[in-house]
Amino acid sequence: NTSKFKDLSKRVTLYLDGELSKEEERELLLEIQKNPQYVQLLGKEQNFREFIKSRLQRKKVSPTLVQSIKDKIRTAN
Amino acid sequence: MVTMEKNIKDKIFEEELIPQIDALYNFAYHLTYNEDDANDLVQDTYLKAYRFIASYEVGTNAKAWLFKILKNGFINNYRKKTKQPTKVDYQEIVNFHAEEDDTNYSSYMDLRQEIFQGMMGDEITIAINSLEVPFRTVILLCDVEGFKYDEISKILDVPIGTVRSRLHRARNMLKDKLREYAESMGYSDNRN
Repeated sequence: NTSKFKDLSKRVTLYLDGELSKEEERELLLEIQKNPQYVQLLGKEQNFREFIKSRLQRKKVSPTLVQSIKDKIRTAN
Repeated sequence: MVTMEKNIKDKIFEEELIPQIDALYNFAYHLTYNEDDANDLVQDTYLKAYRFIASYEVGTNAKAWLFKILKNGFINNYRKKTKQPTKVDYQEIVNFHAEEDDTNYSSYMDLRQEIFQGMMGDEITIAINSLEVPFRTVILLCDVEGFKYDEISKILDVPIGTVRSRLHRARNMLKDKLREYAESMGYSDNRN
């Protein structure tokens, strides 16, 4: 059970990172559906990723920087 | 270097490179934690990209190409700040699309977050900020920017196995740091 859970954890990680083939994804999701513990694992991992992402994705560039870059390129030309 | 008509360069720059600027700025900011440094890093990245635009293959992964230039710029700036004279050779940008990429920036492993300034207040951000640069970088590239392992491997000049192990370690470090705080926010981690 422990090694099976570890193997599944690894595959969940690969799935969430977009590294599984369509066939591997299908197999994983079928396996997860059969076991509530695995559903919980997938849910927690997804929450964790969203949690992190929401804290890091908050900075946008100022329009003046874009203009400054274009001006410098125009001057260089 | 292959020469390219100015209007073609401008078209590629405007249509393929400029749209990536928010993602680049976000990456730069989370590497430097300083708005001025992040602006400088993004500006330098775009000026270098324009200069080397003939080596960019239109329609390929503009975002990964720009991220690689920015990462190299960050390393060079870091070395300036720590008075280490070694420079990344931007000629390797030209070889970005080559099948064999034998460049080795093992010194990247040695980077420490001495320029980290920890300006933001909440505990989650502090936990992320406290990760050393190589670990924070893979989290940013994978979890925020959605790059695949092979793309991250190219951007960072490390083997895919290293990308995987850094991601695994970074996420575990974050989970350890965040567990107490996350539980107080209603997120529980009952790992064995």
